[in-house]
Amino acid sequence: MTDYLRLERISKSFKAGGVETRALDDITLGVAEGEFLAIVGPSGCGKSTLLQIAAALIAPSAGEVRLNGAPVTAPPESMVYLFQQYAKSLFPWRTVLDNVAFAVERRKGMSGAAVRAHSRRFLKMVGLADFADRYPWQLSGGMQQRVAIARALAAEPRVLLMDEPFSSVDALTRLELHGLVLDLWEKQRFTAVLVTHDVDEAVFLADRVAVLSARPSTVVRAIPTDLPRPRDNLATREDPRFLALRHDLLSMLLNRPHG
Amino acid sequence: MAEIAPRWPERALGAGVVVLALAGVELAVRTGHVNGALVPAPSAVAVRVADIVASGELFAPLGTTLYLLFTAFFLASAVAIVAGLLMGRFDALYNLLEPLVEVLRPLPKPALLPPLILFLGLGDAMKLTVIGLGVFFPVLINTVQGVRGVDPVLVDTGRTFRCGRLALLLRIVLPAALPMILAGMRVALALGLILVVIAEMLAGTGGLGYLIIDMQRTFRVQHMYGWIVILAVLGYVLNAVFLKLEQRAIHWALAKPE
Repeated sequence: MTDYLRLERISKSFKAGGVETRALDDITLGVAEGEFLAIVGPSGCGKSTLLQIAAALIAPSAGEVRLNGAPVTAPPESMVYLFQQYAKSLFPWRTVLDNVAFAVERRKGMSGAAVRAHSRRFLKMVGLADFADRYPWQLSGGMQQRVAIARALAAEPRVLLMDEPFSSVDALTRLELHGLVLDLWEKQRFTAVLVTHDVDEAVFLADRVAVLSARPSTVVRAIPTDLPRPRDNLATREDPRFLALRHDLLSMLLNRPHG
Repeated sequence: MAEIAPRWPERALGAGVVVLALAGVELAVRTGHVNGALVPAPSAVAVRVADIVASGELFAPLGTTLYLLFTAFFLASAVAIVAGLLMGRFDALYNLLEPLVEVLRPLPKPALLPPLILFLGLGDAMKLTVIGLGVFFPVLINTVQGVRGVDPVLVDTGRTFRCGRLALLLRIVLPAALPMILAGMRVALALGLILVVIAEMLAGTGGLGYLIIDMQRTFRVQHMYGWIVILAVLGYVLNAVFLKLEQRAIHWALAKPE
């Protein structure tokens, strides 16, 4: 299978106070069309930076991003980035519905009524149909992230890039959102890249988990999860294969020898 | 919702203080403790004000003053918002213009009246210029600060949904900075009113500021105070109307818990 999204020999250095720090070192990583890839790594390893480079929100110091074979230099239409700080990425001056509508309202040939109907459909998918006229800041954290997910998917992306989107909600809400994202992924069939520091989350959601080292980061390994789908919050997490993967990944991240 | 309006007992007490102060002046004048030729009784001033309004005398000067104020306020605000958006967004422009702004901003604008009279004469052009300069800086400073304070995540959100530079500016940066911009405009409106009065006193032929000084020069003290009262009411009403409009425009920012 050829890669749909490909990061080719990506490096990134930052300059701060005259000192150059190398964050990413020669990273090559591919994602097949429709695949769910998770990227895990210790905090500060630059995994969010890598994702922002993939989205063309920042430029790499060296290397190239290719989407469906074509080099990516500006945020492409078929790719949407889901931010960790959902509260900061929703527009407080827009209602929930208008936040979702932002994804499509500038599309040519789409009437106002069509935009609203389209947005309502996606709001319904995340279970927030009844909250269309509220403002984001009137909702709980989990609900705000649902709005952000609805907005991202309303753009009908071929690739969804997720930057620790579940890290600042409570544990139960996180499990609910995992179920929601998997469900939407199976229905909408987009390519998903998830950056996280949560190994359980990575194994539970992804087809393949890539492990980054501490800075300057490189890809240490990329492990297929090979867990059956559809996945279940209880059964999958108790699967011996799940536990073995979790063990391997954690020992890698904690820098322990295998055993 | 963060509503900080006082409850009615406090409100009533506050109004009571105003009434008490007026009654005190009234008493002082009537008992001869204060020279009525310099400070007329509030009741006499009230009668004057009622006269001025009822006779229709009010409208031409009020029109002149409001025309000067609003024309300068809206033009200068518009220019300041555009300049502020650009300076706030583009660091090169900010670095280029910030020193100039810092030199011009602290200068009390009435000091520019004499040179402006040299260049522009005593007409509306001079008055609009000085009012406009007074309005321009607070709006500019607040817009720049508001724009620079916009969360980068908000801007990146726009970019991931493929907003170009102009769309980012108008659809994300402008609304996000609007609370700061409006706060600047509210200050600027009060400053504008001060400047229109000063300009009219110095070089007016109509308008509230002109009438106040004209009444003083012709020893019509009750009229003078009458026009001062009218000016005070105007300042109060302008601020109240602005607050109402602001509340509408950025209700989300006022209600949002931070």
